[in-house]
Amino acid sequence: MPAYDRRAFIKALSAAPAASILSISNAHAAKVKARVVVVGGGYGGATAAKYLRLLDPGIEVTLIERETVYTSCPLSNEVVSGERAIETLQVGYKGIQKHGVRVVHDEVTAIDPAKKSVTTAGGQNFVYDALILSPGVEFNYGAVQGLSKELAESRLPHAWKAGPQTLLLKRQLEAMPDGGRFIIAVPKGPFRCPPGPYERAAQVAHYCKQHGKNKAKILILDANDSFSKKPLFEQAWKALYGYGPDGMIEWVSGANDGKVERVDPDSLTCHTGFGEHNGDVVNIIPPHSAGKVARDLGLATFKNAWCEVKPESMEATGQKDIYVIGDSCVGGDLATNNAFPKSAHMAMSQAKMAAAALVAKINGLPLPVPVYTNTCYSVVAPDWGFSVVHLYRVENGQWVYIKSGSGISPVTLGTPPKPVPRIYRRLEAQYAEGWLRNVLADAFG
Amino acid sequence: MRKGVMAVVLFWAAGTTMADINVDTLARTCNNCHGLNGVSAGATMPSIGGLPKGYLSKIMKEWKYDKRAAATMNRIVKGFSDDEIDALAAYFSKRRWLPVAQKTSAVQLKLGKSVIRENCEDCHGTYGNDPDIDAPRIDGQSTEYMALELEKYRDEAFDMPHRKMKKTIRRLKDGEVTPVVDYYGAQKR
Repeated sequence: MPAYDRRAFIKALSAAPAASILSISNAHAAKVKARVVVVGGGYGGATAAKYLRLLDPGIEVTLIERETVYTSCPLSNEVVSGERAIETLQVGYKGIQKHGVRVVHDEVTAIDPAKKSVTTAGGQNFVYDALILSPGVEFNYGAVQGLSKELAESRLPHAWKAGPQTLLLKRQLEAMPDGGRFIIAVPKGPFRCPPGPYERAAQVAHYCKQHGKNKAKILILDANDSFSKKPLFEQAWKALYGYGPDGMIEWVSGANDGKVERVDPDSLTCHTGFGEHNGDVVNIIPPHSAGKVARDLGLATFKNAWCEVKPESMEATGQKDIYVIGDSCVGGDLATNNAFPKSAHMAMSQAKMAAAALVAKINGLPLPVPVYTNTCYSVVAPDWGFSVVHLYRVENGQWVYIKSGSGISPVTLGTPPKPVPRIYRRLEAQYAEGWLRNVLADAFG
Repeated sequence: MRKGVMAVVLFWAAGTTMADINVDTLARTCNNCHGLNGVSAGATMPSIGGLPKGYLSKIMKEWKYDKRAAATMNRIVKGFSDDEIDALAAYFSKRRWLPVAQKTSAVQLKLGKSVIRENCEDCHGTYGNDPDIDAPRIDGQSTEYMALELEKYRDEAFDMPHRKMKKTIRRLKDGEVTPVVDYYGAQKR
């Protein structure tokens, strides 16, 4: 920042109340430069709250989250297969409290963008200068006829938010007889965790093989015609579990009538356009959209489902001083079909950009040069993992997908191409665990 | 107000050029897997804070230009310019190295010490805390990470550079690898 005179900046900052930098002056005492409320304490929200405090301890940060314990969705498919205890995915909020984040366990019931206030079910009211929404997703049960929230919690768990449903699905798998059929129904994209359903299929198959259920069938009924890391999954499924009509794992694409439109919860029958499939375990992932608090504010303007945000800051395009990060937002290079994947890592990347942009704004500094990254591991067996990485920059106010810094693990290597040596898969299975511990520490520690 | 201003100055003091502002943003993307200030919380991923600038820059460029195999990192670094790589290397080299002394048995330490005397000490030092462009600090580095690295050097299917390291590692007997990583992983000076 050579052109910038630091002394002049500090002088200016001392003279002008910081609140005037923001559009509405809610900042009170001189000691607090601005008040930021973060709604949602998942990977995105926790990271945003923590990094705001790291970057500028003069900002008062309040995080509002319903639960006192967070359960990581990433790697929760390993809980279903019994490879991992759910406790290894759980973390509380003491870590971010140490950074001076005020954590409130309550449910947000209303947001008033005019008054810049957030109201909770517990009757509390929080005034903000800036608001960061990281509410995750809202499931649209009505999109699949016969499905409901009650059924998801009792008999047809989606387990697409890690927690009790993950354990319910695990118990259902354990009770499934040999020769049983495990159906995974995948909604039309975009959905949270693009490779998740296919990793789940592999983990379920791994469980079946480990427990002598060699005649089990895992049927993926998909509303889509392709999926994340497809060549890597297909290579692994084939090598480990058998893939196709005669294998343990079978995938039915949307074009082949894979979209589940109706379910009969009593007979456990999934109805597609022309066919029906009976399962012993039925795991329907309902379509979803931006979290309710964001929708209620009218921010879900993209396909009436996702929130549009500004590439340089993650601020909502439709609402000043409200930032939307994580699974609720839509971003990335849509023109080249390279949208931001809805992943934990991506949410953290967005959170850090939002925090840095907000701190710059509060302090009257130029916005930082944005960069967004993603790393996402899938584990298909204890010693077999692979990943996808993404890199996005912002040029001329638009996200640009940087192909040279993106891509999936190699499927083959060398000329003539040979399958990638096993050590690559072993390493990435190990890295998945290191990734998990690090992202949990970076977000919640 | 004074306290608040101080905070801004500190936030700011990290750099005085636009490029430095950018490096803070870039470095924060590394934190996800390598930890705040490059101190890793995940045993299979290395701590990188406090490693020599030359070493960090060299291996990132080797990945970028396909001179060193990797399972994940080689794809990530290809999106960064050489200048960005140098800036990241400088940024993390300025963080503090925080060795985590991992416990091991006295027997293992003794065995490890005898193996490293013969094979590792010349480049990595007796305690693993004497780094250079080719030999990073490894005192108190995660043992799980170091074991995976040595597995890369021992597996012919994994294309690692550095003939001397490959030769040395491949001549170790199977039972000698674990004592070596346990020995260096237990160091904290």
